[in-house]
Amino acid sequence: MVGGIESGSFRDPSGQIINKDGRIYRTVTASAVDDFKWVKDTGLLDTLVADGALVPFEEADSSLVEELAAEPALLLEHPRLPFISYPYEWPFNALKAAALHHLDIHLRALDHNVTMSDASAYNIQFRGSEPIFIDHLSFVPLRDGGLWHGHRQFCEQFLNPLLLRSYLDVPHNAWYRGNLEGIPIDQLRRVLPFQRKFSLNVLMHVTLQARFQRNFSDSCSAEKIKAVNNVNLPVSTLRRMLRKLSAWIEKLQPPGGKTEWSDYADGNSYNDEGTTAKRDFIKNFVTDTKPLTLWDLGCNTGDYSVAALDAGAEYVVGFDVDQGALEKGFVRAQHDKLNLLLLHFDASNPSPEQGWSQAERRGMSERGPADGLLALALVHHLAISCNVPLARIASWLANLAYGGVVEFVPKSDPMVKRLLRLRQDIFLDYNEEYFLQALSNVAEIQQIAAVPNSGRKLIRYRSKPNLPGDH
Amino acid sequence: MKNALALSCAVLLSVTVYSTPALAYLDPGTGSIILQLLLGGLAGALVILKLYWFRLKALFSRKPADDRRSKDPESS
Repeated sequence: MVGGIESGSFRDPSGQIINKDGRIYRTVTASAVDDFKWVKDTGLLDTLVADGALVPFEEADSSLVEELAAEPALLLEHPRLPFISYPYEWPFNALKAAALHHLDIHLRALDHNVTMSDASAYNIQFRGSEPIFIDHLSFVPLRDGGLWHGHRQFCEQFLNPLLLRSYLDVPHNAWYRGNLEGIPIDQLRRVLPFQRKFSLNVLMHVTLQARFQRNFSDSCSAEKIKAVNNVNLPVSTLRRMLRKLSAWIEKLQPPGGKTEWSDYADGNSYNDEGTTAKRDFIKNFVTDTKPLTLWDLGCNTGDYSVAALDAGAEYVVGFDVDQGALEKGFVRAQHDKLNLLLLHFDASNPSPEQGWSQAERRGMSERGPADGLLALALVHHLAISCNVPLARIASWLANLAYGGVVEFVPKSDPMVKRLLRLRQDIFLDYNEEYFLQALSNVAEIQQIAAVPNSGRKLIRYRSKPNLPGDH
Repeated sequence: MKNALALSCAVLLSVTVYSTPALAYLDPGTGSIILQLLLGGLAGALVILKLYWFRLKALFSRKPADDRRSKDPESS
């Protein structure tokens, strides 16, 4: 990883994040330092840190970063988070937890006469299933009557994506990934069903906001500017607004119903002996390699992620395309307080590098390599549903992590038969021998074991030196 | 209940006074600010009524062509 100013933090004139020698620093510029110190003196930041709601910070010697930043008025150092994720990768309940966290922090800030200058979802990260706020410079002194400047941003980045899933059963991820600022208010208004528009909450935060935007945003009239400058939002009203939003979001749920692979872990095609064998194989891999971060691709509800955590993996990031499975897994991680973060991901189209200069939000592989990787019941989806040649899959897996466990599912397996049921079998070289050959070109194959009572194989490999990250 | 009254006035006006703005140069926070004006109480709601009144008046008095460009020489 190259040190320097983090590309996601360049917009903030108050300060920037610097990544140097694996350590995380935050510069506070001269224009923001007074506000920061004032806020710090209220005791708010320390209270939030103590509760695990805000990333810890301590002052550091600013000469540490002098070659990277022009004389910051103050330098802070933060502990490094195990994995940076983005709202377009979060499942519904992670985004919901993040939204509630943001509102909760804002309400607590008001108790200290502090407010928040923005409401960016990118200012929230996760440790397992626990949201944590990461931007210490979003806190500013409260001016009585001052507006909630982050309201529109909160709606677009938190509320609207949640409404999209909850009211229309459309997951937010693809839309959000296409528009990094979230779901625009007027666009959401257009797609919301008519019967939903009778709620006072929808009327205010969606319909009226969109209407006012449409009616007044193009006007630069003196009357408008005068009116806007005289807006006075009493703190009590702001509090009520935040509380009502919180109560509303608390009630939002995705419509029920199973998604395609949700019942996989319960109703899969092999017996418990097979599952146990897989768990043991993974546990041995983890015990031997002691990965700090492990990526579980196609994690479903996280069964094998949990096996890896039990065996001593420090932190697991589970990736899956199935919203229902992710949501169940997220609830499980919350319930058992697991170091497991679940993210939405389509293996055939993982998160790209994007945003300003195509560098603001990092791609999946740019956040690696992981120490370890699990790819169980994944290769056949990529090879047969997505037509990705086995050699490319092997090379991709070897690039993502220093080593891992991959499962090969043969054509005779009921799950592969199901994928081939309605299409012509054009996959003449889809077989174990060819896959092992492809994998051995990019990795050292260390162990192969059969999954009992199935034709499946588990393969443990170590990526060839210098391969991870070397595209 | 003053907010409810203000809300209903605003809804009524929002369906009667209708226009499609030019897409460029939109100030993205206006909708939220006007909403907070409304939530801020009766005084704010009255300001919104006034703003709509100005819009209505402008419909009948302004020249039909979009004259924002001439008002704002720096736009391009």
